[in-house]
Amino acid sequence: MAIPGNKDTRDGVLFSLPFVLIYLFLLVFPIIFGLCISFYKWDILSSRKFIGLGNYISLFKDKTFYTSLWHTFQFVFMTTPILMVAGFLMALFVNSKSLLRGAGENIFFIPYVLSITVIGTLWAWLFQKNYGLFNQLFMLLGHAKVGWLTDPQKAMWSVSAATIWWTAGFNMILFSAGMKQISAEVYESARIDGAGYFRILKDITIPLLRPTIVLCLLLQIIASFKVFGQVFVMTGGGPYGKTRVLIQYIYENGFTYFKMGYSSAMAYVLFLLIMVISVVYYKIMGRDK
Amino acid sequence: MKKKILFIVALVVLVLWIFPLVWLAITSLKLEEDVLTDVFRIFPKHPTLQNYAKAFSSTYILKWLWNSTVVSVVTMILTLAVDAPIAYAMAKIKFRGRQILFWFVMAGMMIPFQVIIIPLYLQFNSYGLVNTLSAAILPRLALPIGIFILKQFFEGIPDELEEAAFIDGSGRGRIFTTIILPLGKSALATVMILSFINAWNDFLWPLIAISDTAKYTITVGIANFQGVHGTDYSLIMSGAVIASVPQFVFYFIFRKKIVEGIAMTGIKG
Repeated sequence: MAIPGNKDTRDGVLFSLPFVLIYLFLLVFPIIFGLCISFYKWDILSSRKFIGLGNYISLFKDKTFYTSLWHTFQFVFMTTPILMVAGFLMALFVNSKSLLRGAGENIFFIPYVLSITVIGTLWAWLFQKNYGLFNQLFMLLGHAKVGWLTDPQKAMWSVSAATIWWTAGFNMILFSAGMKQISAEVYESARIDGAGYFRILKDITIPLLRPTIVLCLLLQIIASFKVFGQVFVMTGGGPYGKTRVLIQYIYENGFTYFKMGYSSAMAYVLFLLIMVISVVYYKIMGRDK
Repeated sequence: MKKKILFIVALVVLVLWIFPLVWLAITSLKLEEDVLTDVFRIFPKHPTLQNYAKAFSSTYILKWLWNSTVVSVVTMILTLAVDAPIAYAMAKIKFRGRQILFWFVMAGMMIPFQVIIIPLYLQFNSYGLVNTLSAAILPRLALPIGIFILKQFFEGIPDELEEAAFIDGSGRGRIFTTIILPLGKSALATVMILSFINAWNDFLWPLIAISDTAKYTITVGIANFQGVHGTDYSLIMSGAVIASVPQFVFYFIFRKKIVEGIAMTGIKG
């Protein structure tokens, strides 16, 4: 510690106070308030009514809740593996000696800087059924038009593709930072021992990158569970609700049907789900350290 | 030979990766009627800026850009104003409850923002703040990750500097403003940039908190744009280009800091 002083506690509190107040007011209070709301039947206009676990019970009978949850899982499974691998390969590329590595870092990362609505509108246009670039190319090659965003079988894949293009660069930065921390000497001695590129990758890069991989995968899963914007902009949840994800259903219940209590209960289920996944994940990943 | 092949593969991947953005720019320069009939022309037959003129004149796009700028800049400044002092306290002041406070704050990083949108909305509604820019700003101020970054950095500043100032009779406030803040410049810049980008790209919360078209931020505005001008693709694309320009500029100015910041923290969403 810097300087011992009998005013430490006073100063510590004074310096912490502005943040703590905002934190209590805009994070801690809403969390507790939200939990309370979830026990009420509450639609802005009429007065609220305490119904205990009523919202949670109706949740488990709500088909749309299950399908939205399922779509969220689908999205997580569709995007996570590809985003991890793509980010890793990009990081290998920008850490290589290729002349294009600088351009690569910019090109891979730039989509991530753009806002979700720009990404959503752009890809909705690329995927447009009649005039979009992809279908025009398909027709040129003598293929029939594909309903990228209108075919229930394909819509979620299309949203996933846009997401992969949008966020892979983020994982690249994380992996790349991890790779830069591996000392050059380790690689050199391996090379002197005659190890080839793939051998080094398998026996040095990947094992030493383990902490980064563990962190990146967790962040990726959490981020994918919170998907909303791209779906909202690209498909609005359609076709036939086939891409409606959990956050969208929370949003609809709260701000279209004004079922505040029900919506809050759902938000808490999502919160719990993310918590459980994070804890289980850390238990499993932390065990064999 | 092998090297050449790898080079070409890399080049092709990069060109394909950037292509959607090029396509965005190209579409925005096409005449509305050419968008549907002249799909493959890389250089538009009749390049035109009329979409941009239309976007500026027939929508609130300038207003939205302004709103986003206000929201992001104010968020950035206020975030620093509350994050830096507590980070300093945690790094350098030995006070009771410091450890508990640290874990209490860090726990906030685990909570998905989406969980609190309903209570936050009700809260803001009861203060009469819904549909104001303050509503878009306030919930973004508590940024635990910012504290984490600053704390790590401040811990690295040698204690001797503070001790010397103390002996010269400086108080804690003076030390904070004349020693800690100037030395912590690069960490402060990282936090500023992260909070700016967060605020600029925020979508769900401003979508909920603001319902008046003229008060939209640019992200909500562009989403709305697509709803209203659904088939006018060249106009929509010009709107998307306009919305992206500030982000591009920001990225190229602070490129290194942005990358460092993400590498340091691994924040997402």
